[in-house]
Amino acid sequence: MSDVSLTIDGVEVTVPEGTTIWEAAARYGIEIPVLCHDPRLEPVGVCRICAVDVGERTLPAACVRHVEAGMNVITANTEITAHRRILTELMLSDQPEQSRREATTGDDSLYALARELKVSDFPWPDAKSSSNPPRGQDDSSPVIAVDHQACILCDRCVRACDDIQHNDVITRTGKGHSVRIGFDLDVPMAESSCVSCGECVAVCPTGALTHQFLGETS
Amino acid sequence: MENKAEHRLLNALEHIQQTQGAVSDEALKALAAEWGQPLYRLEGLRSFYPVFRETPGAPNRLQICRDGPCRLKGEAAVKALKDALGDRDDIEIEMVSCLGLCDCAPAAALNDSPGPLPDHADIDAWDIKDRHSISEHLPTDPYPDTAAHYSTAAQWLKRPAEEIIAEIDAAGLQGLGGAAFPTARKWQFTRAAQGEPRTVICNADESEPGTFKDRHLLEHAPHLVIEGILIGAAVIGARQGIIYLRHEYQRARAAITKALNKARADGVLGSDAIGPGHDFDIELFISPGGYILGEETALLEALEDRRGEPRHKPPFPTTAGLHGGPTLINNVETLAAVSTILARGASWWREQGIGEHAGLKYVSVSGDVKNPQVLCLPWGTTVAEAIEHCGGMADNRDLLAFSPGGASTPFLPASAAQTPMTFDDLRQAGSGLGTGALFVVGTGRNLAEVLLGQARFFRNESCGKCVPCRVGSNKGVELADAALNHQPNAIDAELAELHQTLMRTSICGLGQVALLPLVDGLKRFPDEPSLQPLRGQTPEAD
Ligand SMILES: Cc1cc2nc3c(=O)[nH]c(=O)nc-3n(C[C@H](O)[C@H](O)[C@H](O)COP(=O)(O)O)c2cc1C
Ligand code: SF4
Repeated sequence: MSDVSLTIDGVEVTVPEGTTIWEAAARYGIEIPVLCHDPRLEPVGVCRICAVDVGERTLPAACVRHVEAGMNVITANTEITAHRRILTELMLSDQPEQSRREATTGDDSLYALARELKVSDFPWPDAKSSSNPPRGQDDSSPVIAVDHQACILCDRCVRACDDIQHNDVITRTGKGHSVRIGFDLDVPMAESSCVSCGECVAVCPTGALTHQFLGETS
Repeated sequence: MENKAEHRLLNALEHIQQTQGAVSDEALKALAAEWGQPLYRLEGLRSFYPVFRETPGAPNRLQICRDGPCRLKGEAAVKALKDALGDRDDIEIEMVSCLGLCDCAPAAALNDSPGPLPDHADIDAWDIKDRHSISEHLPTDPYPDTAAHYSTAAQWLKRPAEEIIAEIDAAGLQGLGGAAFPTARKWQFTRAAQGEPRTVICNADESEPGTFKDRHLLEHAPHLVIEGILIGAAVIGARQGIIYLRHEYQRARAAITKALNKARADGVLGSDAIGPGHDFDIELFISPGGYILGEETALLEALEDRRGEPRHKPPFPTTAGLHGGPTLINNVETLAAVSTILARGASWWREQGIGEHAGLKYVSVSGDVKNPQVLCLPWGTTVAEAIEHCGGMADNRDLLAFSPGGASTPFLPASAAQTPMTFDDLRQAGSGLGTGALFVVGTGRNLAEVLLGQARFFRNESCGKCVPCRVGSNKGVELADAALNHQPNAIDAELAELHQTLMRTSICGLGQVALLPLVDGLKRFPDEPSLQPLRGQTPEAD
């Protein structure tokens, strides 16, 4: 494979053909924020937080877009930051009052991003005032707690369950604004073919998939 | 013959739905075992496509369109019918997205038979009037009778592919599915792309509110579309063609099936279709539903048995489409126009337009005109002339506003009615020709509700893949709905900002335009009373 040279934030970089913009930037110490991307998984480019400007009509996701020779990539400017803030606000507006991940291990990536972007007020109708029904919890598993309300549909658990563990349990179910994650034929987690390996908990960036607190289940 | 592609999971699911009235858990478990597929994958498909139902429901199902022209004209009739049928448990009423029957708004489908909304008194004896049971001869159909069908392909296939491309280029044909991409260039790119398999796909998923011209073409001239596919196949070297048809177009489905069977019987399709020894056939694939499947890469995902969620581009289908091979995807009207252009010649085509404009355009006209219909107009015809061709405005209304190109194209005021219906003129006027779907709104209508209705359609049809569209379109609709129908709230700046994010960061065209008509309307109609609640003002009582 041949090498490709391009510019990222004014820095000349040279990487092998087929590298994504996100990987190329990381190699040169330029950090592009992400939520749905995990370097161990095939990228899906759905949260759009890593949107960058390559001079096109729309802003591609750096995690999926391959580098091209002569490309001029801008990873942050006023416009991009404004979009990142709005996207973060959109995801936060439906979150539960408190993140289970933030409350326990304190590493909720969505909240961390909100702090970094200084997102404070959400002008959008939140989960409480919404006409959409609450998305619910699934406490059936003694090991893993599922809070659909905290899920941002990043697809990390779906990919980890399939591609890292080959357990093939999780899907996106439904369509549009009512999409959720589901297990097998959308049954409660405890009734599914889940083997409680915990990989989904490990990759989840929010409080959607966390370990059950000891003695919590009924 | 129609469902020869039993190798597809989606065909198997469709078969289960057809024969069992639902796709139950038991059926999916059996299918999973038979196909060696994980359960989650089948759940992902069943829950994504609206045709598949988990439980059978009532014996009769009445689907009523909730979008654009139907909502504009039918709210009272729908309410009356719902009230009258309220206590019947043998009929289930379902409000659905545009059925592509905007010419008979308010439109409905009873047990999949489409037609105008029935009066509650007639529902038991609902006999859907066959509006056009006799096939019309279309103005762009070059053939006097069926015996002459496919003679254009027969002649042109003897000539080098470059000449075909050059003729299409000379005619100035641009894609008529909404994006206006030059057709000759698309054919050139796909021809030049390396790899297998090579496929031609006719996009007949037409589902954008106000758009029904493809239905008209498919019902009355399926042979022109088939011929266009055949010529495209010869140019790009494809061995397979697919017509991707929306589920609701039952009459078009019958017309296409009949035409395909005849073409096979006559040897037009089959072993020597695109030259001696070069076989070619066309599969009719019926979409399991949803507007997003019209987006070309979502369509490809469906054909590959996945949830119809758009892919990231690049790569484009021209180089890496169906199963990774070069794929030519064109709209119904584009392919039919190729047949007409090659039959009559590019110079004939150019002469049909007005002034410097070339060709003939099928325009769907809906809303407050006397006779909503599909018109075949010379390119360059103005909006006002199109309205006149439909008998003028209905119910003694005056023109208030119009959207010239489908749900994604901004509304323009009556003062813009002299704009020619071309890509360039309408873009300069601040809107677009899109799919050539003129939605006319008369005075006395609530423009704000119409604009919000377009945003609702996109919100309802979002595939849910990316955050800006999935969450943003919903928040935008909720915010505007609350301001319009509950408490006035100055949200015009917030909506404009949200739209910028959707436009710039959404993966596909759906999210990119979801809030455009609403946000544009707020700017373009500063004095429109119905929009005042979105600026925080209480509308004056009249
Ligand atoms: C959300 C969405 C829906 C679409 N629906 C259709 C459709 O129903 N029919 C169609 O021909 N093109 C549709 N398109 C455009 C197609 O992606 C594609 O551009 C078109 O089929 C190309 O054909 P053309 O070059 O002949 O216009 C849609 C695009 C988007 C973004
Ligand atoms: S913009 Fe909307 S429809 Fe398109 S991929 Fe994103 S969520 Fe799906």
